[in-house]
Amino acid sequence: MLVIDKVTKRYGGKAAVDNASLEIPHGQFVGVIGRSGAGKSTLLRMINRLQEPSEGRILHDGRDITALSGQALRDWRQSCAMIFQQFNLVDRLDVLTNVLVGRLNHVPALRALARMWSQDDLAIAMSALDQFDIAPLASQRADSLSGGQQQRVAIARALVQEPQFLLADEPIASLDPRNTRIVMDALLRINRHYGITVLCNLHSLDLARTYCDRLVGMAQGRIVFDDVPQALTQHVARELYGLEADDVMDSPVTPEGSAAELPDAVTA
Amino acid sequence: MKPASPPAPPDVLRTQALQQRPALAVAYPQIFAPSPWRRLLTLAIIAGALGLMIFAVWQLDFSWSRIWGGIGKLGDFVTHMFPPSYGNEARLVLYLKALGETLAIAFLGTLLAAIFAFPMGFLAASNVVANRLVHILSRRFLDSIRAVDTLIWALIWINVVGLGPFAGVLAIMTSDFGAFGKLFSEALENLDRKAGEGVTSSGGNALHRIRFALIPQVIPIFFSQVLYYFESNTRSATIIGIVGAGGIGSVLSERIRENEWPEVAFLVLLILLIVAIIDQVSSRLRLSFIGQRNVTFS
Repeated sequence: MLVIDKVTKRYGGKAAVDNASLEIPHGQFVGVIGRSGAGKSTLLRMINRLQEPSEGRILHDGRDITALSGQALRDWRQSCAMIFQQFNLVDRLDVLTNVLVGRLNHVPALRALARMWSQDDLAIAMSALDQFDIAPLASQRADSLSGGQQQRVAIARALVQEPQFLLADEPIASLDPRNTRIVMDALLRINRHYGITVLCNLHSLDLARTYCDRLVGMAQGRIVFDDVPQALTQHVARELYGLEADDVMDSPVTPEGSAAELPDAVTA
Repeated sequence: MKPASPPAPPDVLRTQALQQRPALAVAYPQIFAPSPWRRLLTLAIIAGALGLMIFAVWQLDFSWSRIWGGIGKLGDFVTHMFPPSYGNEARLVLYLKALGETLAIAFLGTLLAAIFAFPMGFLAASNVVANRLVHILSRRFLDSIRAVDTLIWALIWINVVGLGPFAGVLAIMTSDFGAFGKLFSEALENLDRKAGEGVTSSGGNALHRIRFALIPQVIPIFFSQVLYYFESNTRSATIIGIVGAGGIGSVLSERIRENEWPEVAFLVLLILLIVAIIDQVSSRLRLSFIGQRNVTFS
């Protein structure tokens, strides 16, 4: 269970996240929705401690992760993998090395710095790439790949961390509809197949409704909605998005496979 | 309500991957058994560099005993230098004037170099001037200017215009013209092409593209490079002063010849102080001008 306990993040005088509380049981696929600037990114980044909360605590199975430092902090980060809107790969490194970056916290420092990866680590990285059909690209430079392929490399990097959580910060905002589906399906697969808890920031309501067990709506840094997707009525959407509401609710996208695979709802 | 799945056994992925390892190793041999040549090549290059270093140390008659013998003399100098002193009031005024002269040489030399190199940078950038001949000729021209060090330019200009700060300004201007030309052209070549495409796509000509797409992107980079060179030229201006191109270096070399060590120490401290001040001021200026963005110098 991940508990976000009255967390606030202030920049100057302005609160990006304002007194947010949330409880996330293991195994959920949680969509965080809201317009840009609502505090979704900041919330996710604070869980990974890329940003520090100004107030409040974040607890994982009772352990205060806002107090971690040093190796304990690195271990925590390894267990809550992040993927980013802009992929955040190292362009000049090949795909395989980019994925192996996800193994760094598992590998003795000197071996990693000399890039002397064990056969097991190579197998883990290649197997992750293989799952997303990009293993043949392993020795290409990351920047030679398309956006959709790069995001799959980033997901593979997250997966080889052997995380318990996956924090996805607008993972499909720079992708076309086809790649959007590929990436969202990959996240769903990670959630269902490995039981990894997924927290995913999304701008599009339809995607959020299609893929998530539970939706958390944010506006002006506050959590204003937390329920199953079915409970998200037009009325609530208008409150969340204001005039943008109609923009974020068109073009339905369905996941791969049958509707039967679709997640059952989990009530908050 | 579906119960949340149990916490994942953390090693599902690992177990799966290790089962697949033999199959993966067959499918991607170049990854699981990479050719040893690359690693050998790296090792060979390191070994070669190390060997070259040892050879150079041996050839240049590198001797620890002479360093140890000399260290005592270094200590003597330090004791002679202590306490630093500026002699008398008249000399203090002379030193401060010389310091001002050095700053003026560095400032004027850098500024003139930047002004002349600005158009040259565009000429030498392959994404601005598409003509290969112009590109190659301007590159070689800049290279040959850069091949001659500031100190040599100072000696040349002293013979042309005589001893004094004017020669110093010309020396810094010439050598930095070469450096700036190259840095500017490379900064231009590394620019984001998208902005230029935007201007061209709306019907702009080559000059429009330079004015509205390239210059706005490149000005902060140029400015930052010029400031950095101004800093380093304050030091260079001191050195070229020693060969007679004016400024505090000239005074410093006189005092060394006269064995006036306390005053030498005072001058060295003065130079240290002014370089530190310029360093501080220019890094402030750079940050305020370019914001927090990173700027590369080559």
